[in-house]
Amino acid sequence: MMELIFFRFALAAYLVSTVGYVASLFAGRVRVAKVSMWVLALAFALHTVYIVMQWMGADSIPSSNIYGSLSFVAWGVSGSYLAFQTKTKTQVLGAFVSPVVVVMMIAASVGLIDGPPIPSALRGPLVSFHILLLLTGGALFALACLAGIMYLVQDNLIRGKRVSGFSRLLPSLGDLDRINHLCTVWGFPLLTFGIITGSIWARTVWGSDWQWDPKQVFTAVSWVLYAVVVHQRIAIGWKGRKAALLSIIAFAGLLFAFIGVNTFFVTMHNF
Amino acid sequence: MSIALLGINHRSAPLSIRERLSISCGEGERPFEELKKIPQIWEVLYLATCNRVEVLVNMEEAGVGVRGLKAFITAHGNLSPGEMEKCLYVYRDEEAVRHLFRVASSLDSMVMGEPQILGQVKDAYHLCVKQKASGVILNKLLHHAFRVAKRVRTETAIANNAVSVSFAAVELAKKIFGALDGKKVLIVGAGEMAELAARHLMDNGVDRMIFTNRTYENAVRLANDFQGLPVEFELLDEKLGEVDIVISSTGSPDCIISGDMVEAALHRRKNRLLFLIDVAVPRDIDPAAGDIDNAYLYNIDDLQGVVDQNTQGRLKEAHKAQSIIDEEVAKFSGWYATLDVVPTIVDLKGKAEEIVRGELEKSHSWMTNMGQDERGNIEILVNSVVNKILHDPVVGLKRESRNGGADPYVAAIKRLFRLK
Repeated sequence: MMELIFFRFALAAYLVSTVGYVASLFAGRVRVAKVSMWVLALAFALHTVYIVMQWMGADSIPSSNIYGSLSFVAWGVSGSYLAFQTKTKTQVLGAFVSPVVVVMMIAASVGLIDGPPIPSALRGPLVSFHILLLLTGGALFALACLAGIMYLVQDNLIRGKRVSGFSRLLPSLGDLDRINHLCTVWGFPLLTFGIITGSIWARTVWGSDWQWDPKQVFTAVSWVLYAVVVHQRIAIGWKGRKAALLSIIAFAGLLFAFIGVNTFFVTMHNF
Repeated sequence: MSIALLGINHRSAPLSIRERLSISCGEGERPFEELKKIPQIWEVLYLATCNRVEVLVNMEEAGVGVRGLKAFITAHGNLSPGEMEKCLYVYRDEEAVRHLFRVASSLDSMVMGEPQILGQVKDAYHLCVKQKASGVILNKLLHHAFRVAKRVRTETAIANNAVSVSFAAVELAKKIFGALDGKKVLIVGAGEMAELAARHLMDNGVDRMIFTNRTYENAVRLANDFQGLPVEFELLDEKLGEVDIVISSTGSPDCIISGDMVEAALHRRKNRLLFLIDVAVPRDIDPAAGDIDNAYLYNIDDLQGVVDQNTQGRLKEAHKAQSIIDEEVAKFSGWYATLDVVPTIVDLKGKAEEIVRGELEKSHSWMTNMGQDERGNIEILVNSVVNKILHDPVVGLKRESRNGGADPYVAAIKRLFRLK
C-alpha cells in the first residue's frame, strides 16, 4: 500500500500547519501563518497524490465508505481554502480550517486500511458522481460555515466595541461575507445534483426515488435551508449576520445527515 | 574614543525652545560645518525634527568635546545656564547607544510607534555621510539602529493600532469592509474631526465623497476642497441608501438620522453593510441605529474608547520593544568594547608578519634549489602555524575586552612581545 505513506505524510503536514496557524493566532505573527499556509499546500499536494494513486489502484473512487469520504472532504476543504487564500489577503481563516481538516483526516485514518468492503450496490459511475458531488458540496458548505462562525464573532466584537485584541486577527466582515456567499452559492448546485443522481440510482437499486430514510430526510431539510439562504441572498439581498447564521444551521443538518444519522437511527443508507 | 549624545526633546524642553534651537542651527550642511569645527570631535550626526534636536558624536574620551557641544546648543538656543541644565540631556557610551535605538524605534516619540521618525533618522544619517562627518563608529552604530528599528517594528505590535480618533475610524472601516476601494462616504455637517477622518479615508482608497450641510454653501465649499459632490440637506435620507460610510458632525441639538431612516436605507441598499460614525456632541444619529443588522454605529466616545485600548496595547508592546533594545545595546557594546584592543592586536599581528618575512628572507639561500610550488607551500605552512598560535590570544583579548577587563592583558602582551 504505497499510497498510505502519502496519506500519513499528508496527515503529518496538516498537523504541522494546524499547530503553526494556531500559534500564529496566539502570537499575532503573520509570518508564522504564511509558513503554515505553505505547509498546508504541501499537505494538500501529498493528499492529492494519495487520492490519485488510490483511485487508480482501486479502480473506483476512493470515497465509497465513510473513511474515504472523510479524507475526500478534508481534501476538498483544504483545496478550496487554498484557492480562496489567493483571493483574500487574510491568513487567519486557516487557523479555523486546518484543525477541521486534521480532525477529519484522523477520523479517516482509523478505517482506511480495514474499512468495510464496498457493497456491490455501490459500483457504477452514477454512484461515483453522487458521492463526488455531495462531498465537494459538503466541503464548500464546511468552509461557508467556518466563515459564517468567524463573521458572527467579528460582528459581535465590532458591535461590542472590542476591536483592539482578537478582532485584529480576524478578516474583515466584507471578506468573510464574500467567502460565505461564494461557498454557499457554489455548494448548492452540487448538493442539488448530488441528491438527484442519488435518487436516480435509488430507483434502479431500491425501486423508488425516495424512501423517507432518515439520512435522506436530514439531507432534504438541509437542502431546503440552503435553498432559503441562496434565495434570500440572491433575490432579496440578504447579507451578513442572518445569512451566516442560517448557513451554520444548515451545515449542522448536513453534518448530522452525513455522520450523526448512522449513530442514532436505523438507516438503509448506512454508507 | 567615546560616544556621546546630547540634545533636547519634547519631554525636556517646551516647544518655544525647540523651535528657537532648530531654526538657529539651520538646515542641511550648516550645522555640520559648525559641529565639525569643535575640537576633538571625530564623527558627528545632527538630527532635528519637530520634537527633538540631537547631536550624536564620536569624540576624544574625557576631552573637551562635550563642553564644545554644550556651547553649540546653548548659543543657538539662546539658553540661560539654568535653562540649559533643565532642558539638555547628555548620554555617554552605552546610554547614548540606547537612546539612539529608542529614538529610531519610535519609543521616544511623542506618539509612540509613529512611523516617520525612522525616515528622519535615515535622512539625518545620509546628510551626515554626504558631509563626510561619519566614520567607522557612527556607520556601524546607525546601521545597527536601523536594524533595531526594523526588529521592533516586525516583532512587536507597537505600530499596529491607530492612536487617533480619525485613524481609529479608518481602521474600523477596514475591519468592516476589507479594502476601501470603490466605497462612498457621506459627510454630514462640517467640523475638524469629520474633515480629518474624510482626509484619512480618502488616503486609504475611498473614491467618492458626498457632502451635505444645512447651509448648502458650506457643503459646496467642502466638496471643492475634497473634489467631492455637494448635495442638498433634504436629500440626506435618499443618499443614506447609496453610501457605505457616513460621518456626521452637525451642531444640531436633536438626532438628524433616526433608526427608521437607517432601516429603510438598508432595505433600499439590499443590506450592504453601512458604517455610521457620529462625531457630533450632542449626537446626530439615533443610538437605536446601532442595533440594526448590517449597520455599525460608533460615536465619539466609542472611537475614543478604541483609541484608549490601542494606547494601552502600545504600552504593553513598548515593554517588549525595550527588551529587544536592551539585547541589541549589549550586542553593540560587545563590538564597541573590542575596539579598545584592536590596536594591540594589529601590532601583535604586524610583529608576527615581520618575523615571518625576515626568516623567509634568511632562508632564501637554501630555498633557491626548490621549485616555485614547494617554496609557496612552505610559505603557506609557516603563515598558518603563526596564525594558529596567535588565534587564541587574539580571541582571548576580544573576550576579555567584552567583559571590560582587558587592560592587564593588553599590558602583559605589550610587555612580553615588546610592542610599542
